[in-house]
Amino acid sequence: MLKTTVVVIGGGATGVGILRDLSMRGVDALLVERDDLGYWTSSRFHGLLHSGGRYAVKDKEAAKECIEENTILRKIGKQCVEATESIFVRAPEDSEEFEAEWVKSCKECGIYAVPMSMDEAFKLEPNLSRKLLSAYRCPGAAVDGFRLLWQTVASANKYGGKAKTYTEVIGIETVNGEVAGVHVRDRWTGEEYKIACDYVISATGSFAGNVAHLAGIDVNVKPSKGTLIAFNHRICNHVVHRLHPSSDADIFVPHGSITILGTSSIDSAPDDTSSETSEVLDMMNIGKVTFENLYDYRILRVFAGTRPLYSADPNAKGRSASRGFVALDHAHDGIKHFMSVCGGKFTTYRLMAEKVCDIVCEQLGVNTACRTAEENLVDGPSDDLMNRAKAVFPSYGAELAASRLGNEKLERVIKRIESRPETKELVCECENVTLAEIEEIASEPSSHTVSDLRRRTRLGMGTCQGTFCAYRSVGAVDKDDMPWAKDTVFLFKEFLETRWKGIRPVLWGNMLRDIELTRAIYDAALNLSGVDEIK
Amino acid sequence: MKKSDILIIGNGISGLFAACVAADKGKKVQILSYGAGTLTIGGGIIDVLGYTDEGTPVADPMQAIAAMDAKHPYAKVGADTAKKALDTFLKITEEEGFPYIGSANENIWLPTAIGNFKPSCLVPRTMNGKALIAAKNILVIGFDTMKDFYADMATKNIAKRLPDKNVEQLIVELKFEYERDLRDISAMDVARWLETEAGYRSFVDQVKSHVKPDTAIVLPPVLGLDPNYKILDTLEKELDCALVEVSSLPPAVTGTRLTKMMTAYAKKRGVQIIEKARVVGSEIIDGKCQAVITEGFDRQRKFYADQFILATGGVYGGGLVAKIGAMTEPVFNIDIDVPKVQTEWSHKDLFGDKKQIFAQFGVNVNSELTPLAADGKEVASNVKVVGRSLAGYDFCVEKSGNGVALITAYKAAAAFCGEA
Amino acid sequence: MAINKHHAIDPDKCTACTICITACPVTAATRKFRGPKMTGPALTRLRKLVSDDDPMLDYCSNCKTCDLVCPSGVPISTLNMLAKNEYYKTHPRKSPADDMLAHSEKMGKLITSIPLASTFANLGMTIGKSVGMLGAMGISSNAKMPSYASESFISKFKKIKQTSYQRKVVFFSGCFINYNQPEVGVDMVKVYQKNKIEVAIDENFVCCGSPMVAGGYIDDARVNAAKNAKLLKAWVDKGYDIITACTSCGLMLKQEYQELFDFEGMSEYAEHMYDSVEYLAKLHDEGEFNTEFANDSTEYIYHAPCHLKVQAIGRPSMELLPLVPGIKIQEADAGCCGISGSYGFKADKNPIAMKVGAKLFGKIKDSHAELGVCECGTCRLQMENGSGVPAIHPLTVLRKAYGL
Repeated sequence: MLKTTVVVIGGGATGVGILRDLSMRGVDALLVERDDLGYWTSSRFHGLLHSGGRYAVKDKEAAKECIEENTILRKIGKQCVEATESIFVRAPEDSEEFEAEWVKSCKECGIYAVPMSMDEAFKLEPNLSRKLLSAYRCPGAAVDGFRLLWQTVASANKYGGKAKTYTEVIGIETVNGEVAGVHVRDRWTGEEYKIACDYVISATGSFAGNVAHLAGIDVNVKPSKGTLIAFNHRICNHVVHRLHPSSDADIFVPHGSITILGTSSIDSAPDDTSSETSEVLDMMNIGKVTFENLYDYRILRVFAGTRPLYSADPNAKGRSASRGFVALDHAHDGIKHFMSVCGGKFTTYRLMAEKVCDIVCEQLGVNTACRTAEENLVDGPSDDLMNRAKAVFPSYGAELAASRLGNEKLERVIKRIESRPETKELVCECENVTLAEIEEIASEPSSHTVSDLRRRTRLGMGTCQGTFCAYRSVGAVDKDDMPWAKDTVFLFKEFLETRWKGIRPVLWGNMLRDIELTRAIYDAALNLSGVDEIK
Repeated sequence: MKKSDILIIGNGISGLFAACVAADKGKKVQILSYGAGTLTIGGGIIDVLGYTDEGTPVADPMQAIAAMDAKHPYAKVGADTAKKALDTFLKITEEEGFPYIGSANENIWLPTAIGNFKPSCLVPRTMNGKALIAAKNILVIGFDTMKDFYADMATKNIAKRLPDKNVEQLIVELKFEYERDLRDISAMDVARWLETEAGYRSFVDQVKSHVKPDTAIVLPPVLGLDPNYKILDTLEKELDCALVEVSSLPPAVTGTRLTKMMTAYAKKRGVQIIEKARVVGSEIIDGKCQAVITEGFDRQRKFYADQFILATGGVYGGGLVAKIGAMTEPVFNIDIDVPKVQTEWSHKDLFGDKKQIFAQFGVNVNSELTPLAADGKEVASNVKVVGRSLAGYDFCVEKSGNGVALITAYKAAAAFCGEA
Repeated sequence: MAINKHHAIDPDKCTACTICITACPVTAATRKFRGPKMTGPALTRLRKLVSDDDPMLDYCSNCKTCDLVCPSGVPISTLNMLAKNEYYKTHPRKSPADDMLAHSEKMGKLITSIPLASTFANLGMTIGKSVGMLGAMGISSNAKMPSYASESFISKFKKIKQTSYQRKVVFFSGCFINYNQPEVGVDMVKVYQKNKIEVAIDENFVCCGSPMVAGGYIDDARVNAAKNAKLLKAWVDKGYDIITACTSCGLMLKQEYQELFDFEGMSEYAEHMYDSVEYLAKLHDEGEFNTEFANDSTEYIYHAPCHLKVQAIGRPSMELLPLVPGIKIQEADAGCCGISGSYGFKADKNPIAMKVGAKLFGKIKDSHAELGVCECGTCRLQMENGSGVPAIHPLTVLRKAYGL
């Protein structure tokens, strides 16, 4: 029987942060995730590494935490963070008094907010609305959720921490009011088994209530859905915030090759990741204040995630609920060594983990101090390795691959291309993903679908949204020696239908044209859904 | 020559075919084109009707067309004209030295690049799916460094679908140079290679010993870039077996051949093609279109004609513009009736057995293919709409794309030339 | 840098459909070029994010076949040119010939300003070729270099006595006509006079900048564009139409300026811009074209330059030239000639240019035509070089037909 000290449930930012922290403190830990890492909220956000500026007026504590963690993550997570800086801009409809208060608050919180002339701002960001009135530079940044999660797990791996994806917890076993283990099911094989442990931490975000229920405990999480819009190119090169009290659709984050506009806030079920056209249009109309030509930019897709807002009061709603996080020790509910962690922000995921692990370690009698702020998640590639990468990757490929893969995997991918040069072929021409990278990630035991490859590589996340790379990626993995690739049609549909979900609410303009092309290829030319009665 | 008898907007398959038909009947025809027409990225095959609305394969397309739902473009044309259209197309291919095979009354199952099969009606001889079904042995040929064909996947799926055949695969080595600053190899590159003496010889040398008696070869579309069967014929002779190209994705070698063939035929018959002419509007007086208006970086221009055929390729071709809660046809400014809420434009799944809702959006026409405005009135009596911009069909689910294009184009052109 | 929306230079319209790849002549000729879609819209997105060595950028010839076939209106070639220009700000140039070829006006000015200099320059070119000096400069020894005229068009123009007519045009001759083939400009004036049009020139016009953009010197082109745009707008305000007899100049002035730059008056003067033959075809449509031609039994083959095709004006030469009695003229319809302005003169690009043009050369030779006809000067050189058949401007055909 599988045995560990701590089982962490949930492969979001909170869960992987805890896994890494425990592992670095020498505590035996295993993370189980029902889906893929970062399948839910930790990738369904705008990818903003807060400077704290957004909270400076309303919640100074949160703001200070943000700037501290922002500084730490830029250092330890270099491969996941794009240090773009942010620009806060005030529109005519935003209050001037708030601006003054905000400037003062940023100073108090230790967040630099450098004023600049609008000419300067327009030079930095030519697409900004010419109606904007004032602008400040702050230390915000873009962060890649998928990458941060995988690299955090990679770091935990070095200390013995393990993560199992597609492993669903179906029961929490207690003996005499104390946790004894969890029962899980492998979602691909259907196999059910037990993992014995001394401690269970549920870091399941919006699903915290569901998991606590397995042990007969109530946890009040109010999932609040936020929709995000991904645009086809970099509208801006800095994070751009509206300088006003936090509201919907007031953050633009340049994210790799695209821009993400976030977000909205609607009470929802924990697994509701759908978006309505009306939400998108509401956001577009607000976003237009910041970028006046917003409707001209092509939307790639929309997506949604749920914020796991925790409230002791079951009637609390939406954004007004506390943004902080809570660690609920269920000893108070009669089960020892079971903790639910809810709420929190992606930016402070490391700090949350530190605080949780302090409590857990104390209960487990472990005295080691937290070191997660001191060590990089993964090593960056050496100059030598980068030179080797540049010699084999197609143009603009080496750096992107290096930041996606981290040092070790990059070297393996380079070796693949060095030994088989044809694997530098671009499977995804929009995001520059090579066949070698697809083969490398596909061979990892955590890969089960082409969407899994997508989350690791950005395959299918660019202009054509999978239209061309679906064929190439399925073709690359649909081989006898690939254990998870069995049914060609399933592989195609799983990938393409997921992409479609994000396009469906914005099916106009080029989005519809692209879908026509997708259908022309996969339905008309390749007959993906038609029956064949060959005669 | 600004004034023509018939002015055609669009140079996809429907526009070109309408031009060929009208020019053959002595009309002075001008085509305004913006972009190369999606014919070039299409598969180069004529799907007429592969499936019924219920998703059952169609045995005889003409029979099925005769029983079509009234909203379907085919219902406005009828089986007799449809057959004439397809026969005319076959005649053109014959004259151009690139004869297609198949008949209007039968579907052919073609292997696809996945390794499953799709029904189509008229196909070039390089895609004779029947040869595959007839052979005892199937040899799937891939090329070691070519992108966009995966022999493993194709072989596995063909074997699954044709369990009584002996399906094997062979990877031909291209031995192309390969380094960082040389681009990936596409089917078009391999087609160019096969057009060279050295490439051709290398291919034969590598394949010949693997061809058993009674074999058909399946391969990606690489049998030359031009509309002729030179490479196919010599290979079939030399290897003593049939070669069948799969239905594949763009960049499309097969679509390029068909484009070249149709364009050549049209030009030979004096059809004038004005490229990069973006048509932005029209001038209608007393219910008759006088001219269409183009716009570029310089100024607007008017193109006059007696009759107009709108062959602008639907949403993909730019012939319909999808907006938030609305859709319009920009040349004659026709509002297309669509739901206000975008999510009502589609089914939840992209791929299913049902026709997609948005796929059926398009211009409503009467039985003469004359466009109708939202109020049901004729937009202009001397205008006909053909091909993808028509409402009422889903070419993907039905497998009817180029069929609807050819058949409606024929009807429009023939009607303008005085044929009932 | 974020992508500037104001100039319609944005990759959002691309659906990655690959039509451009099937049509691009350079893609067909070499795998050193990754194709228009990748080099243009696809990588434009990534260039905002990372920079890298990208030798493939250099291979786009700016022939604009991609723009021509794109169903989505993506300014692919212009995206390529912008990327190339940005690239050379931080990377060393591949070809030492870039500077000279991009700034051909400088050389033209220098040579035509000194008596007999053209003779020596042309001689020098021949000798240079034979001793490999041009090769060292990065110029192909295989390309046919344009020779310099002893007297510039502007100088010749001043000697022409014109009849004054109400219909007035200003002729933007461009460098090639001014310094290399002034007789084409003279033919233009003669043909226009025959059609009751008065032709003006403007000595303040400078090189349109087309070779600068293609060579990676957009900043220089911007300076020229600012000058030309202002002058052109002023002529239009005075009631003149603007005529070009070089299709690349025409395209640059009316389209590429608008795509690349942001000067006032560009769209206004563009409304009055015409290719020299297009303008006559317009007269013909209006019933005012002079068709008093003498018989011409010469057999011609016409090649439509890529930069004409993309102007959406059809084939005006194929409308007018067949009006000449006795004439035998066919369109080659064989795609790009390969030269693309200065591209084919570069040593590393010339083999590509010759490969691209091979189909056209074959067509010309097989046609047994006595003369090639083409609006573009460098296309004509390439036609002559590839097929051995001399090529002339359609205006020259008309001038002869008028018996002038």
